[in-house]
Amino acid sequence: MAGFIGKRLVLSLITLLLLSIIVFVGSQVLPGDVGRNILGPFADQQAVDALNEQLGANESLISQYLDWIGGVLTLDMGDSLAFRRPVQEVLGDALVNSAKLALLAFIIVVPLSIAGGVYAALREGSTRDRLISLGGLSATAVPDFVWAVLLILVFSLVLGILPATATAPPESGFFTQVEYLILPAFCLVFVLFGYIARMARAGTIEALDADYTRTAVIKGLPQRTVVRRHVLRNSLLPTIAVIATQCGYLIGGLLVIETIFNYQGIGQSLFRAAQEKDFPLLQSGVMIVGIVYLVATLLADIAYSVLNPRVRLAQES
Amino acid sequence: MSTASVDTGLPAPAAPAGDAERAAQRERFALLRSSKTFLVGAGILGIFVICAIFGEALAPDDPYATNPLNDLAAPSSDHWFGTDRVGRDVFSRVIVGARDILVVAPAATLLGTVIGTALGLITGYYRGAVDDVVSRVIDAFLAIPVVILGILAITALGPSNLTVIIVIGVVFAPVIARTVRAAVLQEREMEYVAAAQLRNEKAPYVMFAEILPNVMGPVMVEFTVRLGYAVFTVATLSFLGFGIQPPAPDWGVQVYEHYGLISGGYWWPVLFPALAIGILVIAVNMIADGIAKAFER
Amino acid sequence: MDETQRRVDELRRRSSEVENHLIDELRAGKIGRREFIRRGAIAGTSIPLLGLVASACGVSREELERVDPPQTGAPQPGGTIRAGVLAPSGALDPLTVTDQGGLAVLGQSGEYLVWSDKELKPVPRLAESWESTEAGQVWRFKIRQGVSFHDGAPLTPEDVAATFNRLADPDAGSNALSVFGGVLSKGNAKAVDDTTVEFQLDAPNGNFPYLVSSDNYNAIVLPASYDGDWEKTFIGTGPWRLEQFRPGSGVSYVRNEDYWDPDRRTVADRNDFRFYSNEQAQVFGLQGNEVDVLLQFSVSGGKALLTDPDIRTIELQASAHRQIHLRNDVEPFKDKRVRQAMALLVNRRALVDGLLDTKSDFGNDSPFAPVFQSTADIAQREQDVRTAKELLAAAGKEDGFRVQLNTWNGFEMPDLAQLLQQDVRQAGITLDLTITDAGTYYGEATFGESPWLDSTMGITEYGHRGVPNVLLGAPLLSKGTWNGAHFKNERYDSLVADYVAAVDLDVQRARARQIQELLLDESPILFTYFYYYLTGTKNDVADVDVTAMGHIDLARTGRVA
Repeated sequence: MAGFIGKRLVLSLITLLLLSIIVFVGSQVLPGDVGRNILGPFADQQAVDALNEQLGANESLISQYLDWIGGVLTLDMGDSLAFRRPVQEVLGDALVNSAKLALLAFIIVVPLSIAGGVYAALREGSTRDRLISLGGLSATAVPDFVWAVLLILVFSLVLGILPATATAPPESGFFTQVEYLILPAFCLVFVLFGYIARMARAGTIEALDADYTRTAVIKGLPQRTVVRRHVLRNSLLPTIAVIATQCGYLIGGLLVIETIFNYQGIGQSLFRAAQEKDFPLLQSGVMIVGIVYLVATLLADIAYSVLNPRVRLAQES
Repeated sequence: MSTASVDTGLPAPAAPAGDAERAAQRERFALLRSSKTFLVGAGILGIFVICAIFGEALAPDDPYATNPLNDLAAPSSDHWFGTDRVGRDVFSRVIVGARDILVVAPAATLLGTVIGTALGLITGYYRGAVDDVVSRVIDAFLAIPVVILGILAITALGPSNLTVIIVIGVVFAPVIARTVRAAVLQEREMEYVAAAQLRNEKAPYVMFAEILPNVMGPVMVEFTVRLGYAVFTVATLSFLGFGIQPPAPDWGVQVYEHYGLISGGYWWPVLFPALAIGILVIAVNMIADGIAKAFER
Repeated sequence: MDETQRRVDELRRRSSEVENHLIDELRAGKIGRREFIRRGAIAGTSIPLLGLVASACGVSREELERVDPPQTGAPQPGGTIRAGVLAPSGALDPLTVTDQGGLAVLGQSGEYLVWSDKELKPVPRLAESWESTEAGQVWRFKIRQGVSFHDGAPLTPEDVAATFNRLADPDAGSNALSVFGGVLSKGNAKAVDDTTVEFQLDAPNGNFPYLVSSDNYNAIVLPASYDGDWEKTFIGTGPWRLEQFRPGSGVSYVRNEDYWDPDRRTVADRNDFRFYSNEQAQVFGLQGNEVDVLLQFSVSGGKALLTDPDIRTIELQASAHRQIHLRNDVEPFKDKRVRQAMALLVNRRALVDGLLDTKSDFGNDSPFAPVFQSTADIAQREQDVRTAKELLAAAGKEDGFRVQLNTWNGFEMPDLAQLLQQDVRQAGITLDLTITDAGTYYGEATFGESPWLDSTMGITEYGHRGVPNVLLGAPLLSKGTWNGAHFKNERYDSLVADYVAAVDLDVQRARARQIQELLLDESPILFTYFYYYLTGTKNDVADVDVTAMGHIDLARTGRVA
């Protein structure tokens, strides 16, 4: 087990390194320089040159990259070129925001979709099953920005019971913050429900078909116990894998939701950083999203092998 | 070849591999034809395809003709879906808008499938060091948010349908590669692979001529599943301003241009393109579902 | 009726082209009564007179009154006013701020020597008075006494001189260099005694007071000891002082109890700025009651606000516009007849009435917007497809041609591009649109590396300015750095130099007339409209003072009971 984790960690680090190089190379193709991007196209060329000099944007690309990598290893990610503040601060705030939204969406969607999937599986072929399956499928098919617009229209503009943006006023209490995050969270719930429910359903059906389930039923155990003790564990396996892969999306991919709901998450920060050629911010931001994604998939794989002895043994051989 | 007529007293030889394969194919098609979901999905897709091909002929108005003095007119007998921000007929734009997305999304998915399958074959076949290295690169790409990739690509290549195709193709390839790799790992252990290797066939031949036909099932399933995502993603990229450019009547762009206006009661320029996107994705998913079930057997 | 008709005709004779257009449109039913009143009032016609005209055209009194009247109730002291702005795109540094949100923030706690008000008149603020000598080459400003910064330090002429020397310093990299280049050099602002600052200019400049006013939004007066890091203190002399800065989210201010002007000590106790990342979110925010005031919105993005009965719109005539440049040095626009034809093909009325919902003035193909004091009164160019076709034929282009149009996907510019596309089709001209993001369009912002400056035809956005100096300069002078049209005309250069040097308003107008006529003839750039500056407020908020530059003065603002 330890060997397995160790190997995965090393591989993940290599991936991260590759990721940083890819983003580095990629960001160099963006036109314009930092000074010009900050001051805008109408500013004096002299002013732009002076600013570039100040910001150290005239160093060679390689040295900029090495500077940054060196900084990361000492946990100093440098200053955002556009905001003139430490990257940690800018990203820290954004990360906390993204985490809050992701967590809220998670807490709602995971139990809901697992329950839905299991329920549908237990009534496989019935109308209720088809409703849940097709309903989930349709909801997922609708792009997140469409959900956002519809939810805002209904709950905020027509009914007026929920705010149209996700950023609560400063110093808001826990419940106020949740109130502001409900609508964007539900957009995510709609988008993710179908996928996770489908996985849970498929896993449950497979588990219901399995020998150990039949044995338990023959032994006379009530259905609820059967489900709880045997079926759930196995239907959770594919679900965990799916949830893990959605982590990257939930943290870094919510640009559209963040834009519509005016929420300062990582998605928006990355987008702005790429537009303004804010190299330190962009690099560090992508790395953080990458780390979240890799950690999530690693945890999922560990959970998978813990829950499923067969897989663990196969991986260790 | 018929074996029924001559009775040699020996047990009948097994039917040649080709026959079994063809029988399985026929069975699959039969399954598809009887699957309601598949048929409905295909029907809906068919309607969109007709819109895409015959767009201008079906549209009552010129989708590009502006009329700013009649902007944001509500749906009426003159304009079934109303007019947009610069007075264009929304109904015509929704119909003609099918073309771009039905060209870009499948092309992107095809590109992603081709690249992904190639990568999956390579990593699955070679395993070892090659697999490790390439898989790491694949993982790195998987970790990059789609939009960042989108921005970089658009600024480097300029906004156009081609750029969108490339971006989505590159983004989907890793995911497809993963699935194909898993399938290849299984096939690799089969006898025919060993047989080919014993014959000293070159690696590319083994991969593409021997293994590939046997993983076409999962590949096809992946293609259709990804197609749904592709439609979704194309719409999202357009919504963010990357990709299909005005005045093209792209559905995502139409939603983007008008969603701020819904609070003023101007729902029609947003609702109809949004519904079009949703219905198309659902239709493609239904087709994908049907195909997946057919190949499961 | 006859008597009224006679008076209407009389009025028509004395009215400008624009006013006559209004009357035509009202009679033809192309605009409603509301728009007629609104635009007439802005054009300077009095309401009773408008009423007269309207009734002659068959409109009732009550219908006339139903325009967005300003909130005239008395604001209650106390409470918090919440304002929404677009999030500043970078650090809040007075020297480098270039965007709407940033400049509005600067103006809350910071103050200027001169305030350029909503009618573009200069109002004394930190400067009590000013005068020029040497025919406008030397300017002296008398600095107000008894003013202190938020940290208690008194304001002195040294602080003022240091501020402007900093802004004019090429090494400081300030955005203000685009205003002071060729006008003021570093070191030429000096405190000559306890109350006066003297500016030695590089060349005579009749509009200098505007260049040190709120129009030059980077020019908030800072202490001589200022050393960077404005975000920590938001130091200034203004009626609001910083309470808390939440980067990316907003700023909260409280009343400055020691403010120097008792008439402008703030009505409300607190002022909360909220940052929005895009316009749609702003619109939702105002309608969803998250803010009381929305600093600026555009017609295309804010249509919902224009029709919302709970929201009042403040409209200010402004000089913000879009420049459609036609490159003078390459085909097909080398021949000025082709350029004139393009100008005549544009349906300006559709743009003003349709695209901009009447919230705009007509543009007459020169930077002289109707709002400027020095703009001369000349005939307004209108769409004339027949003449356009004749000009094209005379230039050998009767079969039309194909040309690429570059712009970026902001504001209403993509819509404008598509409307132009349709307008020029009538003459067989095909426009191929290339619409990118702003970064790509501007490129490196130097000739040879920027679609903005290299494209044959392009649309660029220009924000409001109090005087046309900058607009006459960089985009059109032979050596201009923003000259996408590649316009090189010696007579134009010398006329502009004359205009800039003129101190007397009548002389300015005379020079302006010559420039306007030259540009109408040469048509290197199409100026099709100058759109109004729109601010949205909730019905119960009174006394919001905005300027077309983008400043918002909330000192007198409060809620009405």
